[in-house]
Amino acid sequence: MFHWLEKNPFFFAVGVFLVIAFAGLVEILPNFGEASRPVVGLKPYTVLELAGKEVYKKDNCIACHSQLIRPFKSETDRYGQYSLSGEYAYDRPFLWGSKRTGPDLHRIGNYRSTDWHENHMWDPKSVIPQSIMPAYKHQFSNIADIETAYAEAVTVKELFNTPYDVDGGVALGSWEDARAAALAEAKEIAADMKNQDVKDLVANDQIPEIVALIAYMNKLK
Amino acid sequence: MNSLMIKALAFSAVLMGATIFVVKYMNVDLSDPVNLITMLGAAAIAFLTFGVAAKYINQMKTDKAEGELTDDNWDGIGEYKNELPGGWAYSFLGTIIWAMWYWTVGYPVNAYSQIGEYNKEVKAYNAQFQEMHKNADADTLQAMGESIFLVQCAPCHGETADGLSGKAQDLTARMAKDQILDVIAKGSNQLGFPMGAMPAGMASGADAEAIADYIVGGMQGQAPAAYATCAACHGADGQGMNGMSPNITKYDEKIVTQVLANGKKGMIGKMPSFNNRLTPVQEKALATYLQSL
Amino acid sequence: MQSNAALEYDYSVAKLFTYTTILFGILGMLIGTLIAAQMAFPELNYLLGEYGTFSRLRPLHTNIVIFGFTLSGVWATAYYVSQRVLKVSMAESKFLMALGKIHFWLYFFGALAAVITLGMGITQSKEYAVFEWPIDVVIVLIWVIWGLSLFGLIGIRREKSLYISMWYYIATFLGIAMLYLFNNMAIPTYFASGGYGSIFHSVSVYSGTNDALVQWWYGHNAVAFGFTVPIIAMIYYFLPKESGQAIYSYKLSLLSFWGLMFVYLWAGSHHLIWSTVPDWMQTMGSIFSVVLILPSWGSAINMLLTMKGEWNQLTENPLIKLMVLASTFYMLSTIEGPIQSIKSVNAIAHFTDWIPGHVHDGVLGWVVFMIMAALFHMAPRMFKKEIYSKKLIDMQFWLQTTAIVLYFTSMWIAGITQGMMWRAVDEYGNLMYSFIDTVAVLHPYYTIRAVAGVLYLLGFFMFAYNMILTMTAAKTIDTEPQFRSPMA
Ligand code: HEC
Ligand code: HEC
Ligand code: HEC
Ligand code: HEM
Ligand code: HEM
Ligand SMILES: [Ca+2]
Ligand SMILES: [Ca+2]
Ligand SMILES: [Cu+2]
Repeated sequence: MFHWLEKNPFFFAVGVFLVIAFAGLVEILPNFGEASRPVVGLKPYTVLELAGKEVYKKDNCIACHSQLIRPFKSETDRYGQYSLSGEYAYDRPFLWGSKRTGPDLHRIGNYRSTDWHENHMWDPKSVIPQSIMPAYKHQFSNIADIETAYAEAVTVKELFNTPYDVDGGVALGSWEDARAAALAEAKEIAADMKNQDVKDLVANDQIPEIVALIAYMNKLK
Repeated sequence: MNSLMIKALAFSAVLMGATIFVVKYMNVDLSDPVNLITMLGAAAIAFLTFGVAAKYINQMKTDKAEGELTDDNWDGIGEYKNELPGGWAYSFLGTIIWAMWYWTVGYPVNAYSQIGEYNKEVKAYNAQFQEMHKNADADTLQAMGESIFLVQCAPCHGETADGLSGKAQDLTARMAKDQILDVIAKGSNQLGFPMGAMPAGMASGADAEAIADYIVGGMQGQAPAAYATCAACHGADGQGMNGMSPNITKYDEKIVTQVLANGKKGMIGKMPSFNNRLTPVQEKALATYLQSL
Repeated sequence: MQSNAALEYDYSVAKLFTYTTILFGILGMLIGTLIAAQMAFPELNYLLGEYGTFSRLRPLHTNIVIFGFTLSGVWATAYYVSQRVLKVSMAESKFLMALGKIHFWLYFFGALAAVITLGMGITQSKEYAVFEWPIDVVIVLIWVIWGLSLFGLIGIRREKSLYISMWYYIATFLGIAMLYLFNNMAIPTYFASGGYGSIFHSVSVYSGTNDALVQWWYGHNAVAFGFTVPIIAMIYYFLPKESGQAIYSYKLSLLSFWGLMFVYLWAGSHHLIWSTVPDWMQTMGSIFSVVLILPSWGSAINMLLTMKGEWNQLTENPLIKLMVLASTFYMLSTIEGPIQSIKSVNAIAHFTDWIPGHVHDGVLGWVVFMIMAALFHMAPRMFKKEIYSKKLIDMQFWLQTTAIVLYFTSMWIAGITQGMMWRAVDEYGNLMYSFIDTVAVLHPYYTIRAVAGVLYLLGFFMFAYNMILTMTAAKTIDTEPQFRSPMA
């Protein structure tokens, strides 16, 4: 049979395809419906947090940081409760990472604060003298892309039924509403910060990347 | 054994030796099952790869190519009809049988659950340590507190607890003057003391300055008259009237547990709450350690 | 058979891909060495402003070496090997010639666009699938063109029966096509939101745990069909061809091929052990990973046995040396991976430097060595020149072998140490080490790895230099060598 296949490339290719396609069906599909169900009380990201998530992606923090706490006592002691599938229901894409050059960040919002992040992102060595994490000073002057974050929120709301604009949930509304809400949120964060340039930008209705990023960090709980 | 094989095994042994030396140096407990299995796995990788490769490479020296050629020839490349190497074929068959056994018998019979295993791990831990430390003495608590502090608190307060030049509270002293002035001006309501909130503006101007100087100075000598306002809640000695309000002279156990439970946002910044992240023994240990500074 | 007919094969496309293999190899490994150095000496993060941090450069490294260097190498050899084992020249079909050229140029400009957008921080953040949707569309187009070109040539072949290398090239084509399509499914938000924000941005159609499952089904098999399958295609051609030895066993080739095809796809969930995917999926990934040792080792053993009795070739011909070492490192990474898939071992290994260690056993020892050997073998035939310098190859071999050993031993020790330190508890039952303790302890190993990077890069420069001088300055040859490549 194999000799025959080797003389008939079409059937050879079909054979290979069948052999390799099979595993995905058996291993991936059975869990699809269940894994995407959110845990009770999970709220979608606000527009500012989404913009922060974009900064996290753009500056590629995933190169060094995971967001997945494994069920070991050593990890729950260090980072808090082990991660649950339903907590990631609104993560597109998932950001678990595959390398921990730095610590896990899945619940960083529980044990770090705005002012600490401000110091740390400006100069990690100022808080952790032996840190090998780069400083991200440019985030203090680059402006975050709120509009794209809004586009993302609208997309997931409409296509994937992510619950925006529901009672007691996260409001989205029109682009003007969303922008105003993001600014209000940014002002609260900037109030807890010390960098004058950041404060000035926010006072002028501009949101630096660092503010969005900190909003995202604080949301991770 | 041929020289190639000896070299291969020696290299593997050196690699494993170095690995074990380094982890031992870091005080790792190799009797822990996970650590042990990992070490055995690492040894298997090294010895099998270099051993088997050395075996076949050595055959380049000692053996000769032979066998019956197939009729095919591609661009000058021929092909022998040799049988499968026995070791390979039996290992392949072995792993397939093992896989089927494991999947159908070994695995579902044990009905494994990783969360179940986690719960078991936590229970075993509690059995070992929680009980043991229930009545720990002060020295134990202090040493324990230091080790927790270095992991949980040092990222903000610094390894020496000095607050990293004003980035968090300097825990080697109580509050600084400007912090006290800030609290006097703004009041405070976040630490969850029985007395509840401290109102804003209990003193101002020169009075406030005098109070702050007095407190920072360790409450030595004659208290300024204005301190009487404060004494109503914090006591004449500033010790917080048995936990009704914060002790403003030094860190005692009450203030540490209240801060850990509620977090604190002050003029330096915000400290998150450690609610549910630490056990009561750990909190006590931290308090003991902070008092020793 | 000994006729000069062989000289009529058309290598113009293979040559173009040869150039990009060298170019992207240098670029990718230069960045690799830089990021290795950054982990030891963080001040190096600030050479290029916001574009020069470790985090921004790391995906440039991985994507340039994978989609630039490795893919170029795969296509250079595929365009070379398939003509020869199918016994048909591309020049026989104008259509195929045109397709090959379009393939290359679309790839080249696509790769440039990919590098630029990635440098700007435009990314989907799915490891090994970071390119945003417009680049994905170009990649799909390139793939389709390669498919037409590959099957087109097969369609007009004279050699009825497909040689083993062709099995593997076909599998590469099919595997990546299937995986890439499913994993990159995303909705561009600009269009979905009615015109807001960046046109590049998209959201994955899968979320959370599902996204992770699809991603690592892809990610693991991108390794399989990018770093393994097409490289096996190469060794099955170039080792017997360079040595003049016949393949040791058809049966072993056959079982290894179909075994690999069947087993590989199941193993992806070994990247998700202890995660939130259901336990049975994790376990399935572990089990199949262990079974996978054998079909992987099958090819390697077949190659080593092909060289039975040829010790003199091993010592005298540096290309044979490269390929035998490549097989050995292939064996190393394909037992290391399975062992790291065992749950208890993964509890230590996952997230640590032991994983990049494992990765580079495979890529430095197997992928790069094999591609370099292949290009060296092709050069005299494509350019009708002798290889410029044998001595350089010898030196390069030892330099790079030393580098690999330094790389993998340092990351092995670093990863195992860090993994165990994360778990360590002190006498009071509390975590023994703060996170930063576990970072500080790695400094010496990061330094060793950076040195390894410099050595390896140096070796690659020697390869590039040797290749360029072979093309330009080496002695011309007028008959094509049947087996062993001529070198000065
Ligand atoms: C080169 C690797 C590297 C990169 C890239 C990196 N980090 Fe880090 N990160 C570290 C290391 C190492 C630590 C631990 C030492 C420290 O706190 O600085 C750390 C710590 C942190 C912490 C504190 C976590 C804790 O539990 O103490 C946060 C928050 C953080 N990083 C956020 C980020 C963000 C956001 C980015 C991207 C914009 C980023 N990091 C990029 C290596 C990195
Ligand atoms: C009505 C009772 C009351 C009075 C009067 C009062 N305090 Fe307080 N004080 C409190 C309480 C209750 C807290 C804890 C507040 C909280 O939970 O945040 C507190 C907190 C403080 C703190 C902060 C301690 C910490 O660790 O955060 C300082 C400093 C302080 N008081 C100083 C003073 C001074 C100085 C005065 C007099 C000018 C004064 N207090 C008057 C009740 C009082
Ligand atoms: C995210 C950073 C952060 C972490 C982690 C942190 N702290 Fe703090 N801590 C602070 C800051 C900031 C302050 C000062 C708040 C202020 O008064 O402005 C503070 C203040 C304190 C105070 C003084 C409170 C007072 O009322 O005077 C104590 C005690 C304290 N921390 C103990 C701890 C202990 C114990 C831990 C570890 C279990 C810890 N902290 C972890 C940031 C942190
Ligand atoms: C039998 C074959 C193999 C198996 C079972 C295997 C298994 C594994 C495992 C378990 C991981 C680590 C997952 C984690 O915990 O993070 C991994 C990572 C990796 N392996 Fe392999 N491996 C194999 C062969 C190879 C080969 C030959 C190469 C390359 C030439 C390779 C390249 C990689 C890469 C690039 C990663 C990193 C993935 C990431 O970014 O996290 N593997 N492999
Ligand atoms: C000079 C040679 C090289 C050096 C010094 C080097 C260095 C590095 C470094 C430092 C990392 C990051 C590891 C981390 O985050 O901890 C990395 C990742 C990676 N490199 Fe290389 N590299 C080199 C060559 C290559 C080549 C030739 C390839 C592929 C053909 C390659 C493929 C990868 C991959 C796939 C990863 C990601 C691994 C992961 O995510 O686990 N590298 N490399
Ligand atoms: Ca990775
Ligand atoms: Ca993509
Ligand atoms: Cu894998």
